[in-house]
Amino acid sequence: MSHTDDTRTSRSHTGLFAALVAPWAALGLFILWAGMQASGEESVIEWTASLNPGGWMAWVLPTALFFWAVAGLLVLFSILAIRDPETPRRGVLGIETTRGDRLFIALLASAFLNLAWLALALGPQWIALILCVVLAAAIFRFV
Amino acid sequence: MKTDNQKAWFLVLPVLILVAFSAVIPLMTVVNYSVQDTFGSNQFFWAGLTWFDEMLHSERMWNALGRQIVFSGIILAIEVPLGIFVALNMPKKGFWASFCLVLMSLPLLIPWNVVGTIWQIFGRVDIGLLGYTLDALGIDYNYTQGFYAAWATVITMDVWHWTSLVALLAYAGLQSIPDAYYQAAKIDQASRWAVFRYIELPKMRGVLTIAILLRFMDSFKIYTEPFVLTGGGPGNATTFLSIDLVKMALGQFDLGPAAAFSLMYFLVIMVISYVFYIVMTNLDKEEGGK
Repeated sequence: MSHTDDTRTSRSHTGLFAALVAPWAALGLFILWAGMQASGEESVIEWTASLNPGGWMAWVLPTALFFWAVAGLLVLFSILAIRDPETPRRGVLGIETTRGDRLFIALLASAFLNLAWLALALGPQWIALILCVVLAAAIFRFV
Repeated sequence: MKTDNQKAWFLVLPVLILVAFSAVIPLMTVVNYSVQDTFGSNQFFWAGLTWFDEMLHSERMWNALGRQIVFSGIILAIEVPLGIFVALNMPKKGFWASFCLVLMSLPLLIPWNVVGTIWQIFGRVDIGLLGYTLDALGIDYNYTQGFYAAWATVITMDVWHWTSLVALLAYAGLQSIPDAYYQAAKIDQASRWAVFRYIELPKMRGVLTIAILLRFMDSFKIYTEPFVLTGGGPGNATTFLSIDLVKMALGQFDLGPAAAFSLMYFLVIMVISYVFYIVMTNLDKEEGGK
């Protein structure tokens, strides 16, 4: 591939990446704004108040941020997949996985780890979250 | 060089919108409900992980899960061998082959609630053929009151409804075996068991895997049939996961606990579906590699 071809491809991708990241960033700002609105005070974020009292879907800041984070992961992995396409590989589970598959497995495993942590009453939930990051790193390395 | 035409993505939009309304938005709402409490009139209060904690330590949920696993285990243990047996004994060609195929697919065409109603009447001691006959034989059978009678009826109903599916899939697997295999087995004087073990079973492996996973998933989320037949009773004897969930969410209007419960249920189904997907794609690759 010649040099000009290379730059053209990357330029066309820049637009696509912007189209993916911009709505996500805007959504983040909107959630932050809604969190401040819920408290009724400037620059104070109310963590547990309803973001849209009496409204549709009963939003609250932690769940909004959770879905925003998941959306962010999807955006990140989409960009990675376009920029740097990969061939699936076979890991310890004996199945072919791509990065996206490993993300899915990591998220699912994290959900179960969190539930197990809660069920066995092992301590504060943030420790489980740290363990999830370790687990995810292991999954991305070995699966 | 590849042409970059990202406009094609817009063609996917209708599907995205449809999935958003049928799956993503309801799922997000359930997640929101699972961390809050409500007393109705769409007012919600933060509850944190209380409902997850409560559900994980709820005997009721574990019991329902236990019943669900036992139910799925029993129907798989009956339907899979029975389905294979039926498929092995079905005529291979001619009028009777078509006749059997139509006959076998009949139960599959009947909607779940109708199946439930059929068995509900069929099992009644006063007017149902099955109930009346068993009663006349002196067997104490009453599916609305007896634990074993209720379980036996629910399981028989599922076996009646879905064994055909396993049989039809196994039959399709058997039909794809070339005659040369059987001729070779005959020359080697292989026994009937050896033919089954080393020719038919390996050739049916793919369709049987699909049959087992399909039946497991379907039975794991069974709702309508036992709901129509027993309503989850007697007591809680046939209250499977989805029946318990609906009781909690709509009967008692405990949205928070029901949401936490359904999310955990969803995670289990998700794992099973993923395994299903992996097995299917691997089978495809194996077939493609041949």
